[in-house]
Amino acid sequence: METYRIAVTGLGVLSAAGHDIPAFRESLLNGRSAIAPLDLFDVSPFSARIGAQVKGYEPLDYFAADKIAKLSRADQFGVIAAGEALNNSGIRSYYSPYDIGVSMGAGAAGMLQAEEWLQSGMSGNRPSPSLLRGLLPDRTSTAIASIYNLAGYQGSITTACSSSATAIGWGSDLVATGRLKAVICGGSDCLSRLTFAGFNSLRVVDTEPCAPFSLGRQGISLGEGAAFLVLENEQEAKRRGAVIYGYILGYGCGGEAFHMTAPEPSGSSAARVMCAALASAGVTSEEVGWVNAHGTGTPFNDVVETKAMKLVFKERCRAVPLISIKAMVGHCLGAAGAIEALATIIALNAGMIPQTLNFRGADQECDLDYCHDGPKISAASLALSNSFAFGGNITSLVISR
Amino acid sequence: MKIIRDNQVVVTGLAAISAAGVGTAALLEALGDKESRLRPVPESILGVPGHKWGKAESFRAADFMPPMKARKFDRCSLFAVAAAGMALKDAVIEPVRLDPTRIGIVLGCGFGGIANSEEFLRGFFRSGAEGMIPMLFPNTVPNAPASNASIEHNLQGPNVTLIQRFCSAETALLMAQRFLEEDRADIILTGGVDELTPVMLQGFRATGQLRGFGGGFGEGAGMLVLERSRHALQRGAHIKATLGQVRTIGRLLPDDGGEGASRLLPAGLPVSLISLSGSAVTEKRLVERLPYAELLETGPLLGRSLAMGGLAMTALVLGLKDGDKGLHLAASPEGPYFAIDFKGGAPVQS
Repeated sequence: METYRIAVTGLGVLSAAGHDIPAFRESLLNGRSAIAPLDLFDVSPFSARIGAQVKGYEPLDYFAADKIAKLSRADQFGVIAAGEALNNSGIRSYYSPYDIGVSMGAGAAGMLQAEEWLQSGMSGNRPSPSLLRGLLPDRTSTAIASIYNLAGYQGSITTACSSSATAIGWGSDLVATGRLKAVICGGSDCLSRLTFAGFNSLRVVDTEPCAPFSLGRQGISLGEGAAFLVLENEQEAKRRGAVIYGYILGYGCGGEAFHMTAPEPSGSSAARVMCAALASAGVTSEEVGWVNAHGTGTPFNDVVETKAMKLVFKERCRAVPLISIKAMVGHCLGAAGAIEALATIIALNAGMIPQTLNFRGADQECDLDYCHDGPKISAASLALSNSFAFGGNITSLVISR
Repeated sequence: MKIIRDNQVVVTGLAAISAAGVGTAALLEALGDKESRLRPVPESILGVPGHKWGKAESFRAADFMPPMKARKFDRCSLFAVAAAGMALKDAVIEPVRLDPTRIGIVLGCGFGGIANSEEFLRGFFRSGAEGMIPMLFPNTVPNAPASNASIEHNLQGPNVTLIQRFCSAETALLMAQRFLEEDRADIILTGGVDELTPVMLQGFRATGQLRGFGGGFGEGAGMLVLERSRHALQRGAHIKATLGQVRTIGRLLPDDGGEGASRLLPAGLPVSLISLSGSAVTEKRLVERLPYAELLETGPLLGRSLAMGGLAMTALVLGLKDGDKGLHLAASPEGPYFAIDFKGGAPVQS
């Protein structure tokens, strides 16, 4: 049996909490929330009118005018964040294009533009077909491969809110098997009327900035953005003198087979996947310093994740902080897992556990340490990052510095 | 990360829903008589005659579940739930008798969720917040078909949905194979599922997709039960085929000295049956490397879809006799490309 460690050698991000790694890092380490009033589209029909929208974004800062119409907002975010990670890693000048792949997680993708096509058609107009170009979630990976001349594996995972966490786990597999020398993996997603209206229709959007694990929390705050990691075999990365930011040690993924929107209430399915992730990484729960929660801020999900923590960490559960950065970056759906994996790597390297913002009071059913009071200094070298999704799709990543 | 290389993966079950009908027998009949099952698209949809599509018109959800239950699913989910049930039955697998956490589903899905998204948005655009139908929203996600199938059949193992152009089912099969090799599961249902609606056709026309290789779209599901060979042998399963190498590249670069094509199709592949899927038939650099063998193409018979590889691979396995070697070649115009080896029957014991 061979053993590999999969190294993270490139980081990239574009989110409401920072348009690049330095800005995102500053927001994360200083606990700065990016949730604010939305103006990307009309949110007046809803009681919740806030979210983590990428503000101050000007496509012309990144793309030539003739390219912009060919890329949806989600495609653009993905191309920018992937570009930062690729440039950061330097892999393109080292490997054959056929040895570098793209593994990405996607969500609503180009739905924002497709909505305009549908709405315009309903009004009797002849909308531009280019509005449909980015509708399918695989478009972003195709654009990344084409723009950066990558010719290895291409795949897009669409398991809603766990998409990009799974894409990172799967990316590590593609390198571990030797199928690829390197992979750019992560996710991109953007706000759309469909998701904003949809979650509002289910009454799971908080009218105030989301408050994970707090008393009185009412639901999510939606967000958007993209994050990508470059993964390589550790030995190869060291051979070429790459900076190593961390490691993807393993991952677990599974289905609850319970309900399309409600989590399995005991937390046992989530706990099973977290344990599978630890087994995949060859580490024990004793080695885990903290857990980046899925932590959406919905009343039920936060309780279930708390229960899962107790099943995994048992008597040690109160010594393992469970934190959520969704109060900072919002719930970025298809990109959530990647943005949070990136935050986990940054925090591990900074020797701190991020704060869960927007505390409203202690909830008796959420009785663990959520770092509500502030970030914590930590010598932990290993953390879990959880992602749960519609359909009961659960992924847990094991990340170390 | 553990690398386990001694888990061969075999095919122990198949299912098909297509314009040819419901079940693998209907698919075999279409492959045998080679008569296209595509039918004219009603003029009311595109405003002009002359277009064809491959609707799975003989599919009746009520044949698989109570009508009240069927109402809560989108059409893609109905296909997935029904095909998963047929595939499990074909493989003689009863999830209740096995560990459900060891049975997963990894599915390619092209347009899953689009029909529900459209209906939800139409209500919203027409009547604002009052027009939203909450029950539609959960099934707007592309993973609804695989997740609904997992819920209905109690599949608690790995559950992933992938989309990648015309190679959506192939990307799923690659992941399913790896999950079995890694011992993440004993059994994984894989393949592809897709639906076709009038608005989708209008969208295809608007973007120029009704011309060229995209003409003649179809819908349905092609599902394969993949299983670790040791597990299949232990339970005495009938092994229909053995899955071999899965080779893939994301793009076929110009002026690469043949590197991309040779990575995909190394010299000396002895095969007796080749399945061509997606736009593979138009890829001159690949087609000229193919060995002489009987060709099988489901697209012209049943219609093309992003996840058509599920039906094409099902057809290939159906066409392999014990010991026959088969090759599935799939391509999409902007990539990716897949070449997948199958061998009829069980693996040779060593």
